[in-house]
Amino acid sequence: MARIGVFICHCGLNIAGTVDVGRVVEAIRGYPGVVFATDYRYMCSDPGQALIQRAIAEHELDGVVVAACSPAMHESTFRQAAAAAGLNPYRVEIANIREQVSWPHQGEPQRATEKAIETIASLVEKVRYDEALEPLTFPVTRRALVIGGGVAGLTAALEIARGGYPVLLVERAERLGGHVAQLSHLYPTLEGSEAHLAPLVEAVTSHPLIQVLTGAEVVGWEGQVGHFTVTISGLPSPVDVGAVILATGFELYAQQHLPEYGGGRYPDVVDGLQFEAMLKAGEIRRPSDGRPVREVVWVQCAGSRDPTLHRAYCSKICCMYVAKQAALYRRLVPEGQAYVFYIDVRAQGRGYEEFVRQVMEEYGVVYLRGKVSRLVERNGALEVWGVDTLSGQAVRLKADLVVLALAAVPAAGSEALARLMRVATDESGFFAEAHPKLRPVESFTAGVYLAGAAQFPRDIAESVAQAAGAAAKVLQLFARKEIVAEPTVATVDEELCAACGRCIEVCPYDARAMHPWKALATVNAALCQSCGACAVACPNKATTVKNLSPEQVLAMVEAML
Amino acid sequence: MAREGAGCGLTQGPKRVILPVVEHGFPLRALVVGAGIAGMQAALEIANAGYGVVLVERLPSIGGRMAQLSETFPTLDCAQCILTPRTVEVGHHPHIELLTYAEVEAIVPEGTGFRALIRRHPAYVNWDLCTGCGYCQEKCPTRVDAEFERKLGKRKAIYTLSPQAVPNKPVIDQEHCTFFQRGRCRACERFCPTGAIDYAQEAQLVEVEVGAVVLATGYELYDLSRMPEYGGGRIADVIDGLAFERLLSASGPTSGKVLRPSDGTVPREVVFIQCAGSREPERHLSYCSKICCMYAAKQAMLYRHRVHEGQAYVFYIDIRAAGKRYDEFTQRAMEDEHVVYLRGKVSRLVREDGKVIVLGADTLSGRQVEIAADMVVVAPALVPRPETRRLAGMLGLPTDEHGWLLPLEPNLHPVETIRPGVFLAGTVVGPMDIPETVAHASGAAAMVLSLFSRLTRAAEERDG
Repeated sequence: MARIGVFICHCGLNIAGTVDVGRVVEAIRGYPGVVFATDYRYMCSDPGQALIQRAIAEHELDGVVVAACSPAMHESTFRQAAAAAGLNPYRVEIANIREQVSWPHQGEPQRATEKAIETIASLVEKVRYDEALEPLTFPVTRRALVIGGGVAGLTAALEIARGGYPVLLVERAERLGGHVAQLSHLYPTLEGSEAHLAPLVEAVTSHPLIQVLTGAEVVGWEGQVGHFTVTISGLPSPVDVGAVILATGFELYAQQHLPEYGGGRYPDVVDGLQFEAMLKAGEIRRPSDGRPVREVVWVQCAGSRDPTLHRAYCSKICCMYVAKQAALYRRLVPEGQAYVFYIDVRAQGRGYEEFVRQVMEEYGVVYLRGKVSRLVERNGALEVWGVDTLSGQAVRLKADLVVLALAAVPAAGSEALARLMRVATDESGFFAEAHPKLRPVESFTAGVYLAGAAQFPRDIAESVAQAAGAAAKVLQLFARKEIVAEPTVATVDEELCAACGRCIEVCPYDARAMHPWKALATVNAALCQSCGACAVACPNKATTVKNLSPEQVLAMVEAML
Repeated sequence: MAREGAGCGLTQGPKRVILPVVEHGFPLRALVVGAGIAGMQAALEIANAGYGVVLVERLPSIGGRMAQLSETFPTLDCAQCILTPRTVEVGHHPHIELLTYAEVEAIVPEGTGFRALIRRHPAYVNWDLCTGCGYCQEKCPTRVDAEFERKLGKRKAIYTLSPQAVPNKPVIDQEHCTFFQRGRCRACERFCPTGAIDYAQEAQLVEVEVGAVVLATGYELYDLSRMPEYGGGRIADVIDGLAFERLLSASGPTSGKVLRPSDGTVPREVVFIQCAGSREPERHLSYCSKICCMYAAKQAMLYRHRVHEGQAYVFYIDIRAAGKRYDEFTQRAMEDEHVVYLRGKVSRLVREDGKVIVLGADTLSGRQVEIAADMVVVAPALVPRPETRRLAGMLGLPTDEHGWLLPLEPNLHPVETIRPGVFLAGTVVGPMDIPETVAHASGAAAMVLSLFSRLTRAAEERDG
């Protein structure tokens, strides 16, 4: 016979203000298998937890139901408290009588009280069938893979290696440095890009724990957090790593997508990176005829902020690099004129606003608020047609050179990589973060972290900070030699399994597979998220999720009805 | 019934700080100053790797600015709902020694690390005895303006910041307590079921040795009183962005109803003013405060969700919606919620017949605009907290002309400082929004982790 204790929390007035807690205690005391029931103002407080621990000892409880807030809040609190008192934590369940009872039924105390009793009874049934389980542990391979050798990947690799762990850095191109290596100067300091990048590249390439593979790509992928097996082009055999950082960066939206701006047909319409190359060379000449350039027009938001035709999002970095380029152009060609068409000037960062102001006032760059509707070529000369929305006037400017600040889009191949690694992407193709506010460097896949513009366009400072953040996640993972996982995963009854493979088809986490030689479906407990899809799909009921067996669920439902 | 929040009864158990120390005595423990979202993030990253953290917070409970927010852009997630699991985790973490209601008195370099002296203010409540039951707050007869509610709500002289406070332990505000001022009352003492009230409690000094320091002291809002053009804080229905967050918040003084502070009526026309004090080098501050465009769009949207027939106006210079789904979010505010965006600056606010007359310019039409608003929400510039400068002084760290801490180098070293072992997290370096703050704080933690991990690994290898 079960010896279950039930502990009902008032949560101040959150629960007790609606639910008649006294009545609930009385009702549940008489429930089969319940040998002890009590209530307390705040069960999660230290005295509340001590109360549970005392009751476990005094009443020799073999199961506990805490009726309180959502298990997302305090399930682990109560399980830990019970474990400290010698009860297996998997025989502790939470009846959510706050979010699911008292809050939604604030005006109907009678019904709320009844629902609380039914909810608790249902969880008593669950505990009755709960197995005492032990957490699963998996070893961690303490080596990291960083994909992408731009500033984000370099920073992440370096921090992990500095922490004492080996890193494999894979870069598709032949050299490290990514887009920053293509830049002439950095904003807002106007310092040379090379002077800042070179020490970082040097620190990475000379670090004894970092192995750099350029001209290489990830082509094969399996495993889970703590133990991924990765196949990399150019390497004779697959490599085991425990964590991965995705730092594949961005590329520019192709000019071909923008027929309104010539669709790539005009040689004197260049993109921002091409203009960086000119600045780097120290000479601004027209690509068409090599003549010096007197009038340059920058077109911002080329393909960005355009939900009907192009990309809906703002590419974030263009406002600042355009200001920088215009300033550098004016420094290089003092007699030249620079115009910038913009919608909003987005100068958000230390010294950014002041920098743009300086570019307008001291460098004499003319800012025109409006969108460029077309670029046309007339008698070999480029004309920029636009509107100045501040004066309301149509504007036509002759230009020797037009620089398009093209939208930043995910790097080519990142979509294929996402598919291969089964990492979620967002509606624009960037890697999706696990939570937009609080988990910005984690992907939805455990053990895979995000750094830099692969997650969304961002400038160098932000990429570097985020890359270090991703490295923190890896260092944290590697600080433990083992990963502890919940044991409430799917299991297979070998007697019943017909090896039909339906579980494999429905599993969203690739946790199900066929046994290498037996006619049997298996479970990779490290990947299983206990969703139960396989248990539902299994025609023979050979698969069940631990502590969520069909008998348990039926008993729980019955207690509710 | 006013709803109390999540995690209400959480109390702090006795803490055990685990101090793995390698051979040469380097303390593998970090000091994190400030327990807003940045400080909490850094602390959790370090503690979850098994290293010790001493987390110091000036206020009685943790959560910082984010705890004051209603819902967050661009998902409109309830701030408290996503924050509470974090505050609870910090409050219960076996490797985090949480020192709230405390301030760093001194930090000096020592050996390869630092020695810090922390002053814990007297709460006049013995937190070891207190169960967080809240009777003292019910019984206390003195009501004062609550800073947490931006003075739109009241608290008692013995108080916690919010029902979700972690730790959920009250402090007595000596300045307003009848007993401390007039020597009588003792209501809290009489009603406390555990005898936790201790009027004789004294400040406590805690000395810690740490191997690294993370500064996460956050920001403050530029005070309305410094902006006479916007009423200088003297017009009741002109409030700042954080005050409006409290009005929107379900756990706020109005339980989430948007009501005018002056008369408690529902405002039909609300004007949001951006760049108040920001981007104004002549009169105020030169920099852009970065977060206002997005929170104003969110607030205008949430106002419309609460007051369906209400009209929201936003005065802006540029809409700075640069972030994942940010531009789309402001588009939604304009298109779905019919928020009217006016490009221009508000020159003056005047009180007239119970209304606030907003005088401004619409630079797109080139016309003067006058709106008789029921309420005005100003987005003041973000400014550094005063203690940031004090900490910078102690550690010899440079700040910019506004008082924000300077990282080692703006582009490639955004979380490091000129002093090895001291790192920066979140808005202590300047305005940034929550996701950027969290990533930045994780970045600061990475520097601490790589430092500590290097030493641990060396010891591991030595010991085989």
